[in-house]
Amino acid sequence: MTARRSIQAVLAMVVAAIALAPLVLPGDSGLHLVNLILIWSIFAVGFDLVFGIAGMLSFGHAAMFGTGAYALTLLTTRMGWDFLPALGAAGILGGLLALVFSFFAMRAAGLFFALLTLALAQLIYILAGSKLRDLTGGVDGLGGVPRPDLFGVDFYDDGNFYFFLLGMFVLALAVAGVLRLSPFGQALRAVKANDVRAEQIGFNVQRLRQAVFAVSGIYAGISGALLASLIFYVSPQMLHWTTSGDVVIMVLLGGMGTLFGPILGVALFEVLREGLSTVTPYWYGILGLVFILCTIFMPHGLAGLAQQLRQRFGAGGRR
Amino acid sequence: MSTIVIGLSMGLLLFLLAAGLTLIFGMLRVINFAHGSLYMLGAYISYQVVQLTGSFWIGLAIAPVVAAAIGALMERLALRPVYDRDHVYQLLLTFGFILVIEEGVRIFWGLDYKQVSPPALLSQPVELFGSSVPSYRLFIIGFGALVSASLFVMLDRTRYGMVIRAASGDPDMVRTLGISVSRIRTAVFAIGAGLAALGGVVAAPLLPIELGMGFSVIIDCFIVVIVGGLGNIRGAVLAALLIGMTRAIGYTYAPSWVDFLTFLLLIATLILRPEGLFSRKGRTA
Amino acid sequence: MNRLRAIIFGITLVAGLGAPTLQPAVAAEPDAFKIGAVLSFSGPYGIIGESMRRGAELAIEQRGGTVLGKPIEVTWEDSETKPQPAVQKASRMLAGGAHMIFGAVSSASTVALQSLVDQRKVPMLVTISADDKITRPGGSRYTFRTSNTLGMEMRMALEFTKARGLKKIYGVGADYSVTREGWDFYRAEAEKLGVEIVGEDYPALGNRDYSVIIDKIAKTDADGVILIVTGSDGVTFLKQAGQAGLGKDKLLFGPVLQDELLAAAVGPDSIGANSGVRYHFSYDTPANKAFVEAYRAKYDDWPNSFAGEAYDGMSWFLDVVDGTKSWDKEAWVDAFAGSTRANSIEGTKVMRACDHQALQIGLWGEVVEGEAPLPPLTMKITEVFQPEALFPPC
Repeated sequence: MTARRSIQAVLAMVVAAIALAPLVLPGDSGLHLVNLILIWSIFAVGFDLVFGIAGMLSFGHAAMFGTGAYALTLLTTRMGWDFLPALGAAGILGGLLALVFSFFAMRAAGLFFALLTLALAQLIYILAGSKLRDLTGGVDGLGGVPRPDLFGVDFYDDGNFYFFLLGMFVLALAVAGVLRLSPFGQALRAVKANDVRAEQIGFNVQRLRQAVFAVSGIYAGISGALLASLIFYVSPQMLHWTTSGDVVIMVLLGGMGTLFGPILGVALFEVLREGLSTVTPYWYGILGLVFILCTIFMPHGLAGLAQQLRQRFGAGGRR
Repeated sequence: MSTIVIGLSMGLLLFLLAAGLTLIFGMLRVINFAHGSLYMLGAYISYQVVQLTGSFWIGLAIAPVVAAAIGALMERLALRPVYDRDHVYQLLLTFGFILVIEEGVRIFWGLDYKQVSPPALLSQPVELFGSSVPSYRLFIIGFGALVSASLFVMLDRTRYGMVIRAASGDPDMVRTLGISVSRIRTAVFAIGAGLAALGGVVAAPLLPIELGMGFSVIIDCFIVVIVGGLGNIRGAVLAALLIGMTRAIGYTYAPSWVDFLTFLLLIATLILRPEGLFSRKGRTA
Repeated sequence: MNRLRAIIFGITLVAGLGAPTLQPAVAAEPDAFKIGAVLSFSGPYGIIGESMRRGAELAIEQRGGTVLGKPIEVTWEDSETKPQPAVQKASRMLAGGAHMIFGAVSSASTVALQSLVDQRKVPMLVTISADDKITRPGGSRYTFRTSNTLGMEMRMALEFTKARGLKKIYGVGADYSVTREGWDFYRAEAEKLGVEIVGEDYPALGNRDYSVIIDKIAKTDADGVILIVTGSDGVTFLKQAGQAGLGKDKLLFGPVLQDELLAAAVGPDSIGANSGVRYHFSYDTPANKAFVEAYRAKYDDWPNSFAGEAYDGMSWFLDVVDGTKSWDKEAWVDAFAGSTRANSIEGTKVMRACDHQALQIGLWGEVVEGEAPLPPLTMKITEVFQPEALFPPC
């Protein structure tokens, strides 16, 4: 148990180091990247509640992510809402859409669940790009997505917006941490381990799954809205299946079912993408190789790697 | 009438594109996201062979062999270690392959478009039911039918096919009989990869050959595989024909709704008959 | 419990250290003129980024690599043709003190960058994205486009319809906003001229099978087919139309249907297709001759429209910056708005102050077989339209 705790502490420190890097790094050049990591981390942490804790592979989270982004954009730019209520609405809409998805998708299990969520999300993507173009700006998207207007701080400065995002990130992480340890989280683990038994000992499995799906929809909606705000822009691309694929990859790289793993995965993904593309024109292929090697040699992601290393080098003597 | 001919050709082309995916899924339970990249590779190889030899037909013969060899390598080096793990790891793995293959193609062939024309024999349209139908489309119909029939016969009627099916159903039993399951798996993956490249060669004269062409085709392939019933070859043929016809009729009356309709069909299938529209008995394997 | 403690530890660590610290702004005298280029270098649009880089680098080289007496430093970044990385990389370069942004390739990425450059008050030079909403009256103060708009190209298609005396038109447009607007405009104007619209279809963007639509068109008595599709979609259509023999009795044309790159992708079936041309190496001005010669000497290749437009825009903008003799970005913006480029490689271009769109001629051409050293399939410029016919007043 000591080993486990110290690994958690190490992971927490790594996450903290990433999140707080802008405070010590000189200049603003890494700032946008950290902001991006914070936002995608909120998405990934929420996604892992469904994926890692409840054991449901959703391939349609792009729908909630993009819907949140559009909700914030349209409510602020067309309806004149303030940023914070619009952000709240983005989360709620994300959650509601997730409920609708779960209503259809829960009819299937396992792989079919993944495919259904993929198909539903892709349907929304197609509609957004074509039939709903007056609302969504079509394929070329909408610019001018605002940032918060609070306490007279200029959040259009990336340095100031960072603190807003850091606050949201800590909040999201705290809520996810509590949820995971709560009876709700325990029940979900029971469902993941054996849904038949969970049903028999009195859990309403369907209800539990729907609830966690909705919660992660809220996370997706909020993080999508924040991304649109960060890059001042939203387009149907955010609803595309590759966005769902990105978050799955991030969580797998970091380690599914752990609190800090998804964040590490996000950081690895974005840092690799950013770093490699500046160094080599072949970054695309190298990223692919990294994915392949990670899958083969790091079965439990970055978070699991710490465990693996510890077992090999650290804990051996003390045990 | 011409709509039916065109619908048939669209359907059989879809089948050719999706056949490898459905085979690999049905027999190995692996979702090969890199299927589209192998398809792209097939198109590029076809271009290269036409450049060197001037013959479309040689490309049609060579590209699947090259892709099958690459597929066999992928299976042995990367997939084999992760069979026992959760399906999602195969997703990450095959996604990695997409990027690697894409990069390889870029390094080898560069960024600009490539082009392959239909073979001279099939370059002229023919008059059929008052429409001039490209003769290459008729070739696709014939070739698609031939490939689907041979796949069906191979899997259902030959000893080799029986072993493959047995290995997918009960690997331990097959092992007990002294047959190497891992060798069968490699073979199946290689055949699937070869089929993907075959689809690429057949599609090459219809499309610009470019990076990223595999990305756009993969979702279409998934739709065929799901509507047909995961891993069900006969179902995939029927599903491809159904979708081809739906699209042909859709393009006739309301082209901008075609994608939407296709996905609606997909969702309806998943909700009402997740085992596929054309499965005979429950979920296969 | 241990896990809970670890989590709380992590969270307090994150939150506790999160007290705001202010970073002093760096306000040193610039030692170089920094250009942040955000273009597509990977994926299917990589060739566009590479071509633009060549054009822009030649423009910089020809002025001795300096502006305002300081060396020019360009950072080339890959936008992956997606808005998120485009904004991310532009943000980083702006934080590093970029004096201007050059890009992006896709209209989506450009629209995304517009809000950013307006916030950061840094000029952005657009030489490819054609969505009309990028330059509109009262739009982005810091965005300038020296290249074509789709609206202008639609007008060229209309002028071409008139010039050829086409009477019955079938329209095919990719199903998205810009093309829909373009088609609505064309349709209304063509009907005013007495042209009959015999059919219209909107297949999805990225459609891979046009055979049904081609069959539908073949069964009409249209004498012209306007294709409001770009890039691969146009290639796919022309290949499949060629196999069905559609071009035999119908003229296939479109605002941005073909150039040498795309014609090579179509193959022989592209011959006879007509298209607006953003820039062409054969256009006969002294400035263009000199550019094409220099370009061929440097790269041993004909400049395509991406390279030509990038060269033209970049050299114009840098001349304007040099002319202000100032490091004040506002001065550059004010000087560029309303500036006239008399010796552009496409004749005279005027940067309109009201919407920051460059008024310019429009080239129109037909795909023909080329003889060496020309590419085997080459655009022959058949019409040159004057700006008055192509740009409505602001």
